[in-house]
Amino acid sequence: MLNINKTIDEGKASYLLEGRLDTVTAPELEKELKASLDGISELTLDFEKLDYISSAGLRVLLSTQKVMTKQGKLKIVHVNETIMEIFEVTGFTDILTIE
Amino acid sequence: MTIELKGRIDSNNASQVEKSILAQLEGKSREAVVLDAAALEYISSAGLRIILRIKKNCPDLRIVNVNSEVYEILDMTGFTEMMTVEKAYRVVTLDGCEEIGRGANGSIYRIDQDNVIKVYNNADALADIQHEREVAKLALILGIPTAISYDVVRVGDSYGSVFELLNARSFSKILAEEPEKMDFCVQEYVKMLKKIHETQVPAGKLPDMKETALSWARFMQDHLPGEAGKKLLALIEAVPHDDHMIHGDYHTKNLMLQNDEVLIIDMDTLAVGHPIFELASMFNSLVGYSELDHETIKRFQGFDYETGRRFWHRSLSAYLGTNCETKIREVEDKARVLGYTRMIRRSIRRKGLENEKTRAEIALWKEELLALLEKTDTLLFSLNELEIDAEEDRLQEVQAFVDEHLEAADCPVKAQMQIAVAVEEIFVNIASYAYVPEKGKAKVRVEVSDEPVSVTITFVDHGIPYDPVAREDPDVTLPASQRDIGGLGIFMTKQIMDDVAYEYKDGQNILTLKKRL
Repeated sequence: MLNINKTIDEGKASYLLEGRLDTVTAPELEKELKASLDGISELTLDFEKLDYISSAGLRVLLSTQKVMTKQGKLKIVHVNETIMEIFEVTGFTDILTIE
Repeated sequence: MTIELKGRIDSNNASQVEKSILAQLEGKSREAVVLDAAALEYISSAGLRIILRIKKNCPDLRIVNVNSEVYEILDMTGFTEMMTVEKAYRVVTLDGCEEIGRGANGSIYRIDQDNVIKVYNNADALADIQHEREVAKLALILGIPTAISYDVVRVGDSYGSVFELLNARSFSKILAEEPEKMDFCVQEYVKMLKKIHETQVPAGKLPDMKETALSWARFMQDHLPGEAGKKLLALIEAVPHDDHMIHGDYHTKNLMLQNDEVLIIDMDTLAVGHPIFELASMFNSLVGYSELDHETIKRFQGFDYETGRRFWHRSLSAYLGTNCETKIREVEDKARVLGYTRMIRRSIRRKGLENEKTRAEIALWKEELLALLEKTDTLLFSLNELEIDAEEDRLQEVQAFVDEHLEAADCPVKAQMQIAVAVEEIFVNIASYAYVPEKGKAKVRVEVSDEPVSVTITFVDHGIPYDPVAREDPDVTLPASQRDIGGLGIFMTKQIMDDVAYEYKDGQNILTLKKRL
């Protein structure tokens, strides 16, 4: 289960993710992002209510990071401790901007 | 009306025989005509045609006392399916034969080096024998290694069925004579038990153990306080229907080691149902029946009470895949609820209340049962192994299954989530690659250990051999633009778990993940 709550305002997009970002839900987020990243220069993913991430979720983050590197910036905020640890072991702390 | 058939019947004498039979039937009722073949040595197709013609006028025709040569002819030509054909029974004596097994409905003796005979308690046992033969055949076809009787004989006033069983020793005997083989016995006993419980039985082929247990509970209503009786009934009612096989009398005298092969015998109690019913009867045979009088088990199994207790405890631990005492005790208590119910009923029906010793036994069992009923809310428990279609949309079920076991073991939430990540990576991997383009199954097993506190998760599939551990780790120091999306899953799994080991064995990919908690 993943709830995606997005707000887009003049080139700035913010996604509040709630639940799990896994094999089942990652494609939903990917589709959602693909459809609305055009013309976005600042993308924020809010992980405050995200409990879980698997490599399928990480893959979406990676491809999104690649797109955003070209057109602006991506930041991830409010990451919980367990997910932070996953970012660390996979080197994602170096790739992503995490606040 | 009985007509005797004698000697040889072939084209030389067929018409005479027919005339003689017709003469005997003249003016008699055509109902219940029996051909007695005790003295019949041979019958050719000319003779078979006579029988067909007689059958036309005597629809209930039976042939009895058929020797095995003639029986073979009748069987080959389909006559055994057209009419009732009863074999002549060889007579066997048991003088000096060793009793090697004993079940609910009979005892098993070795009659020579290659053969054993099961003698039924019930004198009129032909229907029982037929039933046992059918269920044993069913079990064999479904993949359970068992022996099927090939002959029925007379033993005194009862019947026996004969099995080929070469050099076989029961597990009771092994445990009694070579206690150092306890490990081996536990391992094989549990392996066979799991095999039986994994076997799905086509609907209607075997009785439902739940119905039987409900009948015990109904009997107990007169012997328990009202509330306790009601609770017992409700607990059994709440056990869902299960179409997997249970043996029904799974104790160590019924498990045989024949050379290196393990066989299960005494199949007449075969049923379908939740494994808790099986555990109940295992508890009874290994512990329950001997709880008051510790000598009981020695008379029955040949080993002592302590051995029985230890064997039961270790088998239950191996069956549940845990050595966590709380979990073992919890399932043991559920088994005891049904076990005591069954023993009390059995003993009362056998006039146990009229005898001082059995009265004391019933009192003890009843006291235990009442205490258990107080604290038991369900008879259900979950096994530590799940077999599931290797498809991505089954992932949630796999996660729920693993979580349940981790929660039962008080696994910290953080470790639980990390383990979930690893489980997802591996299961999705199997679902995506193991069987493409075909479909297949994956088995997931969760084992929790107390010392050191750790969890082991094993994935087994029959797909294309693939060793994910051998895959090179991705370079996690590269910037995003140069990072590839592959290989991350197994890398994370290796980071999260303390040990990840792969093995290809018997056509199976076996991946074992271990994490200390």
